[in-house]
Amino acid sequence: MSKANGNFNRTQYRLGFFLLLAPIVLWLSLLIILPHIDMVLVSLRERIASRQYGFSFSNYTAFFTEPLYWNTFVRTAVMSIVATVLTLLIAFPVSFYIAKVLTGRPRIALFILCLLPFWVSELVRTYGWMILLRETGLISGALQWFGLADQPVEMLYNDVAIMVGLIYTSMLFMVVPLVTTLDSLDNSLIEAGYDLGGSSWNVMRSIVIPHAMPGIMSGCIVVFMLTLGNYLTPTLLGGKSSLWFTEQIYTQFITRFNWEQGAAFGILLLILSSLIVWLGLKITRQSFTRVMS
Amino acid sequence: MSDQACASGADAGVQEDLACTLLSKHFGEFAAVDGVSFSIPRGAFFSILGPSGCGKTTLLRMLAGFQQPDSGDILIKGKSVLNTPPNKRPVNMVFQHLALFPTMSVAENIAYGLKRKGIPKREHATLIDEVLAKVHLPGYGDKRIDQLSGGQKQRVAIARCLVLNPAVLLLDEPLGALDLKLREQMKIELKRLQREFNTTFVYITHDQSEALVMSDQVAVMNKGRFEQVGTPQELYYQPKTAFVAGFVGNSNQYAGKVQSQSGDLVTLVTEQGVRLLSHASQPLVAGSPITLFVRPEVMQLSTSRPATEQDNCLAVTVSRVLFDGAQSRVQVETAEGAELTVALPQTADFQALEAGRSVHVSWQASQCLCFPAPVDTKPLGTP
Repeated sequence: MSKANGNFNRTQYRLGFFLLLAPIVLWLSLLIILPHIDMVLVSLRERIASRQYGFSFSNYTAFFTEPLYWNTFVRTAVMSIVATVLTLLIAFPVSFYIAKVLTGRPRIALFILCLLPFWVSELVRTYGWMILLRETGLISGALQWFGLADQPVEMLYNDVAIMVGLIYTSMLFMVVPLVTTLDSLDNSLIEAGYDLGGSSWNVMRSIVIPHAMPGIMSGCIVVFMLTLGNYLTPTLLGGKSSLWFTEQIYTQFITRFNWEQGAAFGILLLILSSLIVWLGLKITRQSFTRVMS
Repeated sequence: MSDQACASGADAGVQEDLACTLLSKHFGEFAAVDGVSFSIPRGAFFSILGPSGCGKTTLLRMLAGFQQPDSGDILIKGKSVLNTPPNKRPVNMVFQHLALFPTMSVAENIAYGLKRKGIPKREHATLIDEVLAKVHLPGYGDKRIDQLSGGQKQRVAIARCLVLNPAVLLLDEPLGALDLKLREQMKIELKRLQREFNTTFVYITHDQSEALVMSDQVAVMNKGRFEQVGTPQELYYQPKTAFVAGFVGNSNQYAGKVQSQSGDLVTLVTEQGVRLLSHASQPLVAGSPITLFVRPEVMQLSTSRPATEQDNCLAVTVSRVLFDGAQSRVQVETAEGAELTVALPQTADFQALEAGRSVHVSWQASQCLCFPAPVDTKPLGTP
C-alpha cells in the first residue's frame, strides 16, 4: 500500500519535473538547435540547377579565397575585441564607484542613470549619436562657433564613430555584472589590504581584480557577443565603409538571395565567437561555469 | 590637571607603544568616542570591553587609521600618527571576520604584507615557515583559505599580521564566530602568542570572559567613554561605577533607597521592602535611589540559619535549580517576592535541592556594592 503510494508520488514528481523542463527544452530545440542544424545543412549545399542542390564545400572555400570576406571577418573580430576591452576600462571605475564608494540613494540613482539610455530603442540611441556627430551636427557646429574649425567637420562614417557607438551600446552589460561581483567583495578585505601596507594599486591588483575576475569575464563575454553580432550600430555610424561581418551576412541573405553563402557566414561567425570566448577564458584561467554562475 | 597628566604621559612615551589623548569622534550629533585618553605599556595585553554600540569599534578603527578623529591625538611609540595613512602605520589589525584573501593561499596571504614591506623575496619562505610554526600550523603554506577550519583561519590571520612585527596588534572581536570550545582554546592560545611575540595587543570585545582571561589591563567602555581602566581583578572586585559593576561578571541587581549611612556601611531597603546592609565607597544621601550589586558566588547557601552572625541573612524559597555543571545556580525568592540568583555549591548537601525547598542565603556587607541610581539618566559628561 505504502509502496504504491510512494510510486505514485514519484511518478507525480517526475511528471512535474518534465513539465517544468518542457519550456526550456522546446525553446532550445525549436528556436536554437533546429535552425542551426538546418543552417549547417544549407551552408553545405550548392545550387546546381533550379531547385537542384548538391553537397559541396564551395561556400566555405569562397570565404577563404575572397579577400573581402576574409578581411571583413578579421576586422570585425579585432574591432569587437577592442570595443570589449575599452568598455571594460570605462565600466570598471564606474562600477567600482557605484559598488564600493557610494551608498544609499546616490548609489541607486547612479545605477539608474546607467540603465536609463536603455529605455529607448537602440535605433533611437544611434540616431542620437548621428545628430551629434554628423557634418551639420552639434559638435561640428560647436567647433565652428568656437573657431576651432573653419568648415563643417564630418565625424560620422569612420572607425572611431563605430567604436563610440559600440561602447555606448554595450556599457550596461558590462556595468551590471561588475557591480554585482564588486558588491560581493567584503569591504574588510580592502581595508586589510591597506592595513598590511598595500598601496591603492596593490589593493586593486591583488585583491579587487582577482575577486572581480568572474564578473569581468562574464561582462566581457556578453559585450563581445553583442558587439560581434551587432548590425545596426556599425551600419548607421560606419556607413558603407563600416565592413562589419553581419552586413555581409545580411547582403547574402537579403540582397543577393544567396542563402547558402549567408548560412556559411553565419556558421563561421558562430565558430569565431566560440573560439575567442574559449581563448579568453583559457588566458585568464577562468572556468565557464564559474563565470556564468 | 588632567591635561598635565596626559602631557607627561606623552613625554614618557618611549616606554609606551600606544597612547591616546582626549580622542573624540562624532557622527552628527552622536558622540561615538568622547574624550578618551589612555596609554598602554610596551608588551601589554590591553582589552577594551563594552556593549555593542559603545564606540569601541570606532576607537579601534581610528587607531588603525580607517577613521580620522575629530580631536585628540594618537601616539605610537611616542610619535603622532594622525597624518599617517593606514598602510603606513606600524599597527596591524585582525578583522572581526578575519578578512583573509580568499584568492590566495596561506603562504600568499602572509607574503602579501612582506612584499609591501619590501622584504627580499628569498627571505619570504623562511619568515613564513617561522611564523606558521609559531602559530602551530607548520606546513600549511600551500593550503587554500577555504580548506582551513575556523581556528586555523584565526591563526593565519594573526600570523599574517605578526610576521610584519607591528608595534601594536589590533584585534576586533576575532573570536566571535567560533564555537564555545574553540573560543576557550583560542583565548589561551592568543595569550601565549602575545607572550611569545612580546607585541602589544589591543583587543576589543563585548565578551567579559575574553577580556578578563587574557588581559593585563581592561578598559570598560560605555557611551563613548572609559568608565574604568584597571586589571581584571580590580574591575571585578572594586568596580568604580554602577555600569562596571553590572557589566563585568554576573550580579544580582536591586533598585532600592538609602535609609542611613555610617562610614562605609549603608542600610538600604529594596523596592520589594527587604532591608539589607551594604558597603559603599561614596557618601550617599538618605532617601536617594541606589542600585545594589550582589555577586551570586558571594552568597552562602545553607539549609538552616547560619550559626555565625551575618550582615545580611534572608530566608528564601527555591524557585528553580539551573544546573550547569560547575557553574550551576539556584534562583530563590524571598517572602517579599525579591528574586536572587545564588551559586550552587558542588557539595552533597545541595545535591537533592529542588524547587519549593526553604533555605537561607547570607553574605557580608563588604561583599556587595551599591551605587547611586538610576544609571541611565546620569547625564553624560559628569564625573
